[in-house]
Amino acid sequence: MILKHVLVLSAYLFCIGIYGLITSRNMVRALMCLELILNAVNINFVTFSAFFDNPQLKGDIFSIFVVAIAAAEAAIGLAIVSSIYRNRKSTHINQSNLLNN
Amino acid sequence: MDLSEPIHDFLLVFLGSGLILGGLGVVLLPNPIYSAFSLGLVLFCTSLFYILSNSYFVAAAQLLIYVGAINVLIIFAVMFMNGSEYYKDFHLWTVGDGITSMVCISLFISLITTISDTSWYGIIWTTRSNQIIEQDFISNSQQIGIHLSTDFFLPFELISIILLVALIGAIAVARQ
Repeated sequence: MILKHVLVLSAYLFCIGIYGLITSRNMVRALMCLELILNAVNINFVTFSAFFDNPQLKGDIFSIFVVAIAAAEAAIGLAIVSSIYRNRKSTHINQSNLLNN
Repeated sequence: MDLSEPIHDFLLVFLGSGLILGGLGVVLLPNPIYSAFSLGLVLFCTSLFYILSNSYFVAAAQLLIYVGAINVLIIFAVMFMNGSEYYKDFHLWTVGDGITSMVCISLFISLITTISDTSWYGIIWTTRSNQIIEQDFISNSQQIGIHLSTDFFLPFELISIILLVALIGAIAVARQ
């Protein structure tokens, strides 16, 4: 059955996104891994909508909402990263202690 | 898309291998510009995947917004921070990476067992039985537009306000 293969693929994307989000030292790479996680969620939405809710298409609408949230998140995140880079000359996660002093 | 069975399976295997290699490339490549381009590969394969599962509007939105806007923004941000610092302390395998990979692999295995244990045919039959049989003469994107302007009107307006506020906030944070 094709649904199980698609769900396994989405679970793979989710797990590798979580792994990269935890282990990456670079903020931009952490944002990329966050996009991977949101893509896994979107694949699940579209697949369940195509298999279970075929004339209604509510999963497609939720995936469009997720895409809009991801666009807002990428804009805010990259603005914060560029602001931190301007102050600290670095984008490492373990050096961002701007609230410390 | 209603293709024949072997072409559909071949396209699915092709896009799946693209997704797997791209996902590994995002996490494991040392230079962030390469991982940004492999993120673009992942997003493009996801968009083709939506075309395979008959949702053309989401595929077009994925291509336009993810590949056209977010990935270009990420590549611009990677090029904006100069790349000399990425090489000098590129770390090798540490203990935390091992623990995290163990946790992620166990999470993946538990998800696979959950997926294979669930009886999807029963769910399909229970959802198909109580659906009204309506022949869809209108297309996919027309139906999404009808849903967005009737059922999901309030979330649609809220998401547009969130986008406006987020873009103004991003400009206000980034310029200073």
